Amino acid sequence: MNTIAETRTKSLLYLENVSVSFDGFKAINSLSFVVEPGELRAIIGPNGAGKTTMMDIITGKTRPDSGTVLFEDSIDLTKKDEADIAQLGIGRKFQKPTVFESHTVWDNLELALNRDRGVFGTLFYRLTPEDKARIEEILETVRLTHRAEEYAANLSHGQKQWLEIGMLLAQEPKLLLVDEPVAGMTDAETAETAILLREIAKTRSVVVVEHDMGFIRDLGVKVTCLAEGAVLAEGSIDFVSSDPKVIENYLGR
Amino acid sequence: MLIRIISLIFIILSFAAPAFAQSGTDPKPLIDALAKADFAEAETLIGQIAATGDPKVVPALDAFSEGDLYFRKSDSAVFIGKTGDAGLELIDPLTGASAGPTSKSAVTKIRVNNNLRRVIDAAKGGLTLMSPDRGVRLAAADAVLASPSPENLALVEAALAKETDSEVKARMQEARAVSVLSSDRSVDEKRDAIKTIKSLGGRNALGILNSVSSSIDPSLKSDLDSAIGSIEAEQQLWDMVQNVWYGLSLGSVLLLAAIGLAITFGVMGIINMAHGEMVMLGAYSTFMVQEVIRTHAPGLFDWSLAIALPVAFLVTGAVGFVIERCVIRFLYGRPLETLLATWGVSLILQQTIRSIFGPTNQEVGNPSWMSGSFPVGGMTITWNRMWILVFSLTIFFTLLVVMKKSAYGLNMRAVTQNRRMASSMGIRTPWVDALTFALGSGIAGIAGVALSQIDNVSPNLGQSYIIDSFMVVVFGGVGNLWGTLVGALSLGVLNKFLEPSVGAVLGKILVLVLIILFIQKRPRGLFALKGRAVEA
Amino acid sequence: MITGFILRALEGKIVAMIVVLVGIAILVPALNLLTPPDSAFHIPTYAMALFGKYLCYALLALALDLVWGYCGILSLGHGAFFALGGYAMGMYLMRQIGPRGVYGNPVLPDFMVFLNYKELPWFWYGMDWFVVAMAMVLLVPGLLAFVFGWFAFRSRVNGVYLSIITQAMTYALMLAFFRNDMGFGGNNGLTDFKDILGFQVQADGTRAVLFALSAIMLALCLLVASAITRSKFGKVLVGVRDAESRVRFLGFRVENIKLFTFVVSAMFAGIAGALFVPQVGIINPGEFAPANSIEIVVWTAVGGRGTLIGPIIGAVLVNAGKSFFTGAFPEFWLFALGGLFIAVTLFLPKGIVDTIQHGFRVRKAMKAAAEAEKGRVGTDAVNPSAAQAAE
Repeated sequence: MNTIAETRTKSLLYLENVSVSFDGFKAINSLSFVVEPGELRAIIGPNGAGKTTMMDIITGKTRPDSGTVLFEDSIDLTKKDEADIAQLGIGRKFQKPTVFESHTVWDNLELALNRDRGVFGTLFYRLTPEDKARIEEILETVRLTHRAEEYAANLSHGQKQWLEIGMLLAQEPKLLLVDEPVAGMTDAETAETAILLREIAKTRSVVVVEHDMGFIRDLGVKVTCLAEGAVLAEGSIDFVSSDPKVIENYLGR
Repeated sequence: MLIRIISLIFIILSFAAPAFAQSGTDPKPLIDALAKADFAEAETLIGQIAATGDPKVVPALDAFSEGDLYFRKSDSAVFIGKTGDAGLELIDPLTGASAGPTSKSAVTKIRVNNNLRRVIDAAKGGLTLMSPDRGVRLAAADAVLASPSPENLALVEAALAKETDSEVKARMQEARAVSVLSSDRSVDEKRDAIKTIKSLGGRNALGILNSVSSSIDPSLKSDLDSAIGSIEAEQQLWDMVQNVWYGLSLGSVLLLAAIGLAITFGVMGIINMAHGEMVMLGAYSTFMVQEVIRTHAPGLFDWSLAIALPVAFLVTGAVGFVIERCVIRFLYGRPLETLLATWGVSLILQQTIRSIFGPTNQEVGNPSWMSGSFPVGGMTITWNRMWILVFSLTIFFTLLVVMKKSAYGLNMRAVTQNRRMASSMGIRTPWVDALTFALGSGIAGIAGVALSQIDNVSPNLGQSYIIDSFMVVVFGGVGNLWGTLVGALSLGVLNKFLEPSVGAVLGKILVLVLIILFIQKRPRGLFALKGRAVEA
Repeated sequence: MITGFILRALEGKIVAMIVVLVGIAILVPALNLLTPPDSAFHIPTYAMALFGKYLCYALLALALDLVWGYCGILSLGHGAFFALGGYAMGMYLMRQIGPRGVYGNPVLPDFMVFLNYKELPWFWYGMDWFVVAMAMVLLVPGLLAFVFGWFAFRSRVNGVYLSIITQAMTYALMLAFFRNDMGFGGNNGLTDFKDILGFQVQADGTRAVLFALSAIMLALCLLVASAITRSKFGKVLVGVRDAESRVRFLGFRVENIKLFTFVVSAMFAGIAGALFVPQVGIINPGEFAPANSIEIVVWTAVGGRGTLIGPIIGAVLVNAGKSFFTGAFPEFWLFALGGLFIAVTLFLPKGIVDTIQHGFRVRKAMKAAAEAEKGRVGTDAVNPSAAQAAE
C-alpha cells in the first residue's frame, strides 16, 4: 500500500487498472503504467497492443470503461476533454504527421504557442517580441529556420514530423506523447530525431511509441512492452528484449 | 358492396331453389300496395313482405332499395324496371318474367330513402337466414347484425333453432342479441343480449349499445355502461394497433425510399442528392410501361407492376452507372463535393423529365390486386399499403442476402472497407464502385415503382423523399442495413403516434427536431460502430 | 486593440473590393435618380432593385463562405438565417402598414384579421419599433445559430452529418412557417408593405437608399470578415478546417471557435435577409426551402470558397445568369444551374477567384523557373489540383 501511494505521489502520469473495450473487443485490459517527472520512456508492442488507444485515453479522446488516470497525482484525466488536457500540459504527436498544411511553418508554431486560446484572445492577438523570440528559438531547435515562411504542405515528410514536434514544444507541455516519430524517416533523420528527443526530455517527461528497435536503442531509456492491452515487460532495452514473452509476442523467433 | 354481392348470390339461389319458399301469405298484393304507400307505410309493408318468408320477394326488395321499382300509371301494378336500349323494360317483381318495354312516362318510380334501405337490408337478412347455403346464412346473419330490427327477431330465432353449423349459430346468436335489445323482450333476456353484444365488440356493437342507452330499462343501465366501457377500451386498443399499422405503412415507404440510399450513402459514403430523382425515374418508368400496356396489351394491365420492376431497375441502374462513371468517380473522398455535384445532377434529371412529360402529375393506375381492402379485427387494411410493406421488406432482405452472402457483396464490402487492399487483391475497384452505385440507384428505381401507387407521379416526386431518406439512414446508423430498417419503421410509427395529438405538419416537425437532437446525442446513429477505426 | 484588429483587415484585394462597393453605393443610385430616363447613363429602377437583390445574395454567400470556406462547416441551412432576418424586417414593415390594410385594423396585420386573431401574438410586440426589429434581425438568426451550434458542435457532429441536420433544420422551419397558426402569415408570408421609417417603400428615393445600404453593409461585413480571417483566430479557423484534431490537441476549444463563427455568419445572413425584404417587397416560407440553401453553396463554390472576394463575385455572376436564363430560356435554367454545380465541383474546385490567382502564380512560377533554368519549383508545388486528379 505504502509503496503504491508513494509511486503515485511522485508520478507525473499515473494509470491504474485501466480498461476499455470496443464492441466487446478489449483494447486495453487493466493496464497500469507510471511516468515520473523528467523521464523519457519508450513503449513498444505489436500492432493492436493498445499503444495508440492508451494515448487516446491519456489525451481525453477515448473514455476508459474503468480505472484511474491521474496527472500530477491530483487531476483526474478521465473527466477532462482534449482541450483541457492539452492546456494542463500534455502534448501529443500523432502517428501520421498532422500539421496545418495551408499555413506557413511560422504560423503553425504561432498557433501552437501557449497563449490565450479563447475566441477573443485569438481575435485580438498581436505578436509580441517575446513570442517572436520563442518561435525563432523553436525553429532553431527543430532545424526549420530557413523554411519558416514556407507553407507546411511543401515540407518533406521528416520536416513535417519535426515541425509537429516543434509545435508540441511551443505548447510548453510537462508531458509529451510521441507516436512513431521516425516512421518514414531516413537513417540520418532518425538519428537526429533521437538526439532531439533526448534534448527535449531534459526539461520535461516524454513517452515515445516506436517500432524501430534501433531508434529505441539510440534513445537508451527504460522500455515498456505492451501486448493485448496490458504491460508484458518493463525495464532496460536489453532486459525487455531478452524476455521470452516479449520475444514470442513481439520480436519473433 | 358486400350487401350487393350477397343479394346477387341470393337472387341466383332463390331462383334455383324455389322449394324452400315457405307457403305463407301471398306477397303479391303487399308489393302492389307499395305503389301508393308513403315512407312510413312502406316501412310497415316491407316488414309484412319479409314476414311472408318467401325468398322470391328478394329481387323486388333489392330493386326497391336500388330505386328500380316502378308502378304502371294505368293500373298501379308494380314492376322492376331495367333501363335498356328501348327505354324501360318491365319485369314482374316475383316471377322475374318480362312484361315488355314501356316508355318512361307510362310509369312512376317508387321513391326510396336511406331509412327504407336500411329496413330493406334487415328484412332481406331475415329472409335468407334459412338458406341451404352456409355462406348465405352467415351473410344474412351479418346483415341482421348490422341493422337489427324487432321484426327480424322471430325469424332469427326460428333459424337459430334449425341451425347446426356452430359458426353460423354463433353469428346468429349475436344477431338475435342485437334484435332483442331493440325489441320489448324481458329484462333478463336483454341482459344476456348485452353480454353477447359485449363479447362481439367493435364499432358496430358500440353503436348499437349507444343507440339503445337512452331508451333502455334503468335496471340494465349499469350492465350497459360496463359493456360500453369494455368495448371502448378494446376499441382504443384497436386504434393503437391501427396507428402502429399506419406507422409501419409509413415506415415501409420510408424504408423503400431510404434503402437505396443506405447503399450509396451508408456503404459507399456518397452523398447522393439525386437519390430522390432515381425514385422519380422509377415511377416514370412505371408510367411508361403502363402506357405501352394500355395501347398494345390492355389484358396485361394487372401485370404492369411486375413488368415495371425490372424495367425501372434497369433504367435507373443504368442512369446511376452513367452518373458514377461521369461525375462521382472523380469525387471519392470528398463527400461534400459529391453532395453538390449530385444536387446538380438532380436538377438536370428533374428538368429533363419536366421537359419530356410536362410539369403535371401523370396518371399511374393501380392493378386490381392493389386496390380494395380487407378487415382485420377492428380495423381495415388496404391492399396497396399491405403490398408495399411486403414489397419493401422483400427488397430489404434480398439486399441483405446479396450483401452478406454473394461474392459480389463480399467484393463490395472489401472495397468500401479498404480500397487499396481490395485492389491489390485483384478486385477491380472502379467496376465494383460503379456497380454498387448502379445497384443503389436501381433499388431506388424499384422503390419508385411501388411509390407510384400511392403518390403523385410528377417531376418533384423525388424531392419530397430526399430529406426523409437521409434522416432515416443517419438515424439508423450509417453503414448498417439493419439500422435503416429499424430507423425507417420506428420513425414511421413515431410519426403516426404524434399525428393524432399535434397534427400532421407539427408531427413531422417534431420528428425532425427529435432526430436533430438524437444526432447530437449519438452522432453515429442508432447502430453505430465503435472504436478507433471509425473515427479516423 | 480594435483598431489593430480592423487595420489588419485592410489587405490589397479587400480594400479594392470595398472601394468598388462604396463606388457602386454612390454611383448607381446617383445614375438612377439624377439622370433623365432617356439618358444613356440612366439606370432604371427595376435594374437597381435587381442589382440590390444580388448584393444581398452576395452578403449571404459571404456569410456561408465564413463557415464553409474557412471553418469547413458546410451549412445547408443558411437560407433559414436569411429568411429569419427577412421575417424580422417583414414584421416591422407589416406593423408600419397600420390602419391602411384592407381590413383597416390599426394593430393587427391583414392576415391576422383574416385568420380571426383577436390580439397580437406576443412575439409581434415591439416589432413596430425600428430599433427593436433591427436588433431581432441580428438576434434571432444569431440565437438559432447559437442554440443549434451549441448542441451540434459540443457533440462533435461533423462534416456530412452536420450538413444533413442543418438541412433538416431549415426544412422543419419551412414546414413550421407554412402553418397559419404560427402567426407569420402562413403560405403567403408577409407582403404589401407600405413604408419604412416613414418613407414609402416603393418610392425611387427609398429604393436608392436601400440599394446604397446593401452595398455599404456588404462592404462593412466584408471588412469584419477580413479582420476575423486575418487574425490569429482566422488561422485557427483554417486549422480547424484542415486538421481539427490537431487544433483540439493544441488546447483550443474547437466547439467555441466553430460556434462563434457560426453565429457571426448567421448574423450576416440575417442582415442580408433584412435588406432583401424591403427591396423585393415580400418574404414567404419558400425562402426556407432546402433548395435555396443549396443554391447559396453553389454561388460560394463558383466564386471560390476560402477567399472573401470569391463568394461576392460568384453570387452576382450566378444570379445575373439566372436572371438572364429565366428571362430568355426559362426551360434551360435548371439545366444550366445543374451543369454549373457539376462543372464547378469537377473542374473548378477552388472557384473562379482562386483559379485566376492560381493562374497568375503559375505564370510567375513558370517565368521564375525559366529564368532559373530549373523547372522543379513549378510542377509539384503549384498545381495540387492536377496532382489530385491524377490520383
